[in-house]
Amino acid sequence: MTLIDGILRWAIKRSPWVLHFNSGACNACDIEVVALLTPKYDFERFGIILKPSPRHADVLLVTGAVTRQCASRLKLIYEQMPNPKSVIAVGACACSGGVFRGCYNVLEGIDRIIPVDMYVPGCPPKPEAIIDGILKLLSLKQTEVSDKRTPLNKKP
Amino acid sequence: MVNPGLHREVIKILLGSFKNVSLSAIVGLDLGDEIELIYSIRADGALLHIETSVPKSNPKIESICDLIPGADFHEREVFDLLGVDFLGHPSLKRLILPEDWPEKLFPLRKDADLTSVKNMPVSPASLNNEIKTNERSIKILLGPQHPAMIEPERFVLTVDGETVVDVKPRIGYVHRGIEKAAEGRTYLQNIYLVERVCGICNACHTTCFCQAVEALLGVSVPKKALYLRTIILELNRIHSHMLLLGHAGLLIGYETLFHYLWRDRESIMELMEILTGNRVITSFITIGGVRRDIKEDVIREMKNKLRSLTERVAFYRAILEDDPTFKARTRNIGFLGREEAVRFCVVGPVARASGVKMDVRKDEPYAAYDEIPFKVIVRSEGDSWARFMVRLDEVDESINIISYALDNLPSGAYRVRVPRIVPAGEAISRVEAPRGELFYYVKSNGSSYPERVKIRTPTFANILSFIHLTRGCNIADIPVIFSSLDPCFSCTDR
Repeated sequence: MTLIDGILRWAIKRSPWVLHFNSGACNACDIEVVALLTPKYDFERFGIILKPSPRHADVLLVTGAVTRQCASRLKLIYEQMPNPKSVIAVGACACSGGVFRGCYNVLEGIDRIIPVDMYVPGCPPKPEAIIDGILKLLSLKQTEVSDKRTPLNKKP
Repeated sequence: MVNPGLHREVIKILLGSFKNVSLSAIVGLDLGDEIELIYSIRADGALLHIETSVPKSNPKIESICDLIPGADFHEREVFDLLGVDFLGHPSLKRLILPEDWPEKLFPLRKDADLTSVKNMPVSPASLNNEIKTNERSIKILLGPQHPAMIEPERFVLTVDGETVVDVKPRIGYVHRGIEKAAEGRTYLQNIYLVERVCGICNACHTTCFCQAVEALLGVSVPKKALYLRTIILELNRIHSHMLLLGHAGLLIGYETLFHYLWRDRESIMELMEILTGNRVITSFITIGGVRRDIKEDVIREMKNKLRSLTERVAFYRAILEDDPTFKARTRNIGFLGREEAVRFCVVGPVARASGVKMDVRKDEPYAAYDEIPFKVIVRSEGDSWARFMVRLDEVDESINIISYALDNLPSGAYRVRVPRIVPAGEAISRVEAPRGELFYYVKSNGSSYPERVKIRTPTFANILSFIHLTRGCNIADIPVIFSSLDPCFSCTDR
């Protein structure tokens, strides 16, 4: 393992920047995601920051059952994120469509649109569960990260 | 029941004889050969219904937008989902359904074949379709993914320098088709479906739906359940208002206020958890009562936490009233006058901050509100600041209501068993949600599945006024005005 790899592995664990995207959720998961920022849960103590731009984000945190209108936007946002990137599906709707399974405008789960690395079920999951999901994902990603990275010495 | 065409005459008579006439909802029903339209009109606190119908082969009716400007989005929704043509409507365009939705397919019609849409591939996002510039004004696209908003929605702003000339909202990103889905589920299943129309005011949705079904069934809910419903509804209101005030702090760049308010809001979330078992979606209310009894220690804990919250609310009132930062960003920003508030049919705190005294809890008491004394908070300023202050004062009122309900809690059963088959009929139920009047229309055909469930949410009624408020304002004031209306797009789109 080179020094760069070491720094990257350390950085991906200690300062993941999260982009939150609502793909048609009922706001219950979303207010729990926002509650993570607040003093009681305070996920910035893990170095996690909510970032508004996909170009700066490492982790895409998606809530909602993916409506037909949001699907193409979700794909676009995923494509705009730099590598290495990972996706967390928060809530029963994002995992499988939840209570909205069978609705005409719903595509039932974000893994039909983009690859998902971690599922956090619950309606809505508690903030503790969301933090747990992010941290577990990061420990997993730490080992994979050197494979996905474009080597620095390689000319594009 | 009037002939199509005469509905305008009835509304004209109402406008002439009452002071505050506004539209509550337009319910569209597919009756097979014809489409029935029910206009629910609020006239000085009372709710009147005008029924009319148009043939399905040629669904055309005259628009009422020139009489009641607030009917704009209501008519567009019926056009979008049921395919009724409103003659004379200023811009009858698609409102909720996606861009790639097939023409002439109306999901709320009974004969609509929706399986083909389900298998249709999703067309790629079109990014630049709406940006056109001329010499002076430019267009700015806001959303669907935007830092200032948690929910996906898109606004096309036309700006001239720093001044906003026009705003065109594009809603429907959260449209899941709940009204249609409700027709395919039993009444019991539907409680949990309508609860997820909006995660923030979920108890209001379940209460409103259950009240409508209870009216159809003819059951009377035990008194204790009514009190427990009042408690959870008011907890819901406190948490929603504090969430909004905190989020407003975040949007105007006052992050300390956001953290303070959300820290105190956590105590309400804990109370909901010990009362119902869940933090956000409570699943507390059911047809015929509530699902859990309240325990002695929960009552004690609730009284303690609410007492300390009262002190905090006094602290926040001092901030909102005196803090120069907060006042500079909200005073005289986004002014909505009393006449305009009535014309645009706004509801809830937005209407009350403009001096319109309207509160379903007083006008048409439900749950235990007829027995509990409380004040309706009304202010006359009509600006963003007044809308925030109304919400803060309502938090105080809600604490009083809960304390009174806990002190006077009746004994006895907390639910009654109800049959699963609901007799044929139709019922309308209204609830004062944190954002204003929530309206449910439930029609039963005598089975265990509803024939039609219509949900008109308070945010849907308020979103039209956003266009009016932002015309002529500064770009930087848009987030303040936006949050002062307390938008919730999962409610708006359903």
